[in-house]
Amino acid sequence: MMAMGGKHRPFAGSWLFATVTVASVLLALPILVVITSPLHSAAPEWDHVVRALLPEHLKGSLLLLFGTLLPALVFAVPSAWLVARTNFPGRSFFRWALVLPLALPTYISAFTYAALLGPTGSVSTRIHALVGVKLDIMNMPGLCLVMAAVLFPYIYLPARAAFVAGMSGQLDAARTLGVGPWMRFRRVALPLARPAIAAGALLVAMETLNDFGAVKYFGERSLTTAIFRSWGGLYDLGSALRIGLVLLGIVALLLWSERRSRGNAAHTTDQVPLQRQRLRGLRSLLATLWCALVLLLGAGIPIAKILLDVFGGSITWSWTEVLPAFGNTLLVAALAAALTLLVAVLFTFRERYGARAPWSLHLANLGYAIPGAVIAVSSMALAGVVDRSMVLPFALIGSTGLLVYALTVRFLAVGNQPLRAALGQQTRALDDAARLLGASPLRAFVHINLPLLRPALLAAALLVAIDVIKELPLTLILRPFNFHTLSTRTYELASIEQLREASLPALFIVLCGLLPVLLLDRMADGRA
Amino acid sequence: MRTLFVALSALLLLACGAPTTDNADQPGEVNVYTHRHYDADKELYAHFTEATGIRVNIIQAGDDELLARLEQEGPRSPCDVFITADAGRLGLAKARGLLQAIESPALKANIPAHLRDAEDHWFGLTMRARLLAYNKDKVDPNSLRTYQDLTLPEWKGRVLVRSAENVYNQSLMASMIAHDGPAIAEAWAKGLVANMARTPKGGDTDQLLAIGEGIGDVALVNSYYVGKLLSSDEPEKQKAKALLGVCFPVNGAHGTHVNVSGAGVARHAPNKVAAVALLEFLSGDDAQRVFAEANKEYPVKPGIPPSGTLAAWGAFVPDTLDLALLAKFNAEATKRMDAAGWR
Repeated sequence: MMAMGGKHRPFAGSWLFATVTVASVLLALPILVVITSPLHSAAPEWDHVVRALLPEHLKGSLLLLFGTLLPALVFAVPSAWLVARTNFPGRSFFRWALVLPLALPTYISAFTYAALLGPTGSVSTRIHALVGVKLDIMNMPGLCLVMAAVLFPYIYLPARAAFVAGMSGQLDAARTLGVGPWMRFRRVALPLARPAIAAGALLVAMETLNDFGAVKYFGERSLTTAIFRSWGGLYDLGSALRIGLVLLGIVALLLWSERRSRGNAAHTTDQVPLQRQRLRGLRSLLATLWCALVLLLGAGIPIAKILLDVFGGSITWSWTEVLPAFGNTLLVAALAAALTLLVAVLFTFRERYGARAPWSLHLANLGYAIPGAVIAVSSMALAGVVDRSMVLPFALIGSTGLLVYALTVRFLAVGNQPLRAALGQQTRALDDAARLLGASPLRAFVHINLPLLRPALLAAALLVAIDVIKELPLTLILRPFNFHTLSTRTYELASIEQLREASLPALFIVLCGLLPVLLLDRMADGRA
Repeated sequence: MRTLFVALSALLLLACGAPTTDNADQPGEVNVYTHRHYDADKELYAHFTEATGIRVNIIQAGDDELLARLEQEGPRSPCDVFITADAGRLGLAKARGLLQAIESPALKANIPAHLRDAEDHWFGLTMRARLLAYNKDKVDPNSLRTYQDLTLPEWKGRVLVRSAENVYNQSLMASMIAHDGPAIAEAWAKGLVANMARTPKGGDTDQLLAIGEGIGDVALVNSYYVGKLLSSDEPEKQKAKALLGVCFPVNGAHGTHVNVSGAGVARHAPNKVAAVALLEFLSGDDAQRVFAEANKEYPVKPGIPPSGTLAAWGAFVPDTLDLALLAKFNAEATKRMDAAGWR
């Protein structure tokens, strides 16, 4: 392929490819630090960790992983199908509203659910007084449900986009052949949407594996809590990094199986306009109720609780504190989203037009699964080498640059996944046509592939921005002096158990995430 | 594409070079790395700036993360003062060579010897006691004289405590190892686990609320959270508030376990003079009163009374164990808690 484009711009490809490789190596470095930790970090308590922590915490992580994925799929896929392919009362509202849970950090949602339905929650105690039943959501099933209710939009969005585009012809054919609606969904739509669903499920999986706040508060065990137990309790960062390595192993396995499941799925573009089936009677009622339930669990209940706390009590709050935090949040989110997107575009270009992608490219995509604090530590370890050597006139640690870099490492997969999925849907015939007409790979990519990717590009940027807005541990430690974001402020209050006071910055996080969420909704299905 | 790339690179370079530490060597500034997130602290920094003209720059984050940052920054670190809410982490910072000895008669006068480092690397600023809150309707405090009492059969299914991941549980366990050896400490932890009302979940406040709901009758918690809850006017907390009694168990022949929030001057502090001034200010009368009143912590300076809420629980005898030992035994404590099945 490279030889074909070589006529006009012989070195364009290789120059860009080299840039991509350098960028991917740079971004893979912090992950390499974790992977190579057995070589450079002593782990004095490793025997104890293997014996006393790993079995239970590994079990916890796997339970949490599959326990969350299953309800997340149940929340996401049927509602995506209903919204994309049928018509029922409230459809156009649910269409965008079902994206809302994305704006909520999982730990905030977990706190609100515990305050309502935990053993001492306000709803639990009332139910106990009324009917004598003791409710307690603070256990593994409860945790999975809470996580799934917040994280399902990662699947809902790509699934909805897949149901809207690219399968009208097949569905029409099935209908004319007399296939009923249920079978059309199960046998035609679901297999066609599988790559998109799998890509979303992968994000949910990684988000679940790296969660710390919610898991810790619910008193459950996972590999991530084991990392902090080793680091903070055993004073053994080496063992903590090795546990991170186990986490990476699980994710590599998931990534591999997702790639296999995607296989060589053929993609077509729609020749037939989209037609929504109008639901009637009981069916339309059930559709409305189902979407309402999912929305209530994911966003309605937690946001209502936050609003109650904010407006129900007397909370002191100064605008001089919230405005800079608001500004910083937006600044960091915009910078990190821009850099992540740039890198993601380069990566997808490299994968589309290059031969085998370098190992660093795959490695760089693993950051999403590693707890933010671990990425922060490994980034600092790298930056520390540079800083202590005094080669730069300024220190990297404590600079906004290092913060943005580390955030990019952490969220690259979030930006990369939707782009790769969308590019996978573009037929190779496009590339070949451009190349036959003498365009270089770069030219073909910029003029043919990229414009078609525009919706996915925006979606990717917004997803990263939302994630950065919610992000906590990495920002907490890498920020410069006197630099607050909304999530650092929320954390400061939540960590001293002032949950009611924490509701106000939490509300601003939700508001801050709302704009990208709504934009995201518009972009997800292209201009549909 | 290309313009976007150039614009982004320029923006990032700007971000990298943004002056974050350029003021570090000017007089009139002090850079603080702190694990404490209290508004009371912010208020105190503002007072300090008012009194001295020295500006206080802050980074708040987890203590392990801050220690990692200090280590990686090395001689180039802008940090002047490291503050954390656990003597174990202060000891760790000292052991890793991240702090320096400070010669200050004022600090020595303000802070009792057992609450500061013997070699003057760190100084305790406030104290928290690991005490027991109990259901006044169901529990006679005379049956809870020691931590060991919690392991008696009569408490089966009645004890509330949070996860072993909590640093104050770790430091209590470390103090027991320091006094009695690891085997006896582990046996105690096993007895405690056997008597737990539920698997540990939530924070200290959640344990107190659980007493209000009858989930357990006695909670092993940090004095600070009890003080906060008892002075709260939130409706959900009133039930527990009305039910709670407080007592100070002792560790066998020793006193009640205390841990400190404390501070040390960073080894490479660019503003050492200002750093020492800040520490002296925080150990002085005015600051100690703010810690006591606004934040419900026990002041370290003799003669400064605790807040009325805490004073009502009566005086207690703190364990005078050398707090440096908490760092020494923290890892052992965590291992023994793991072995005892304390989640």
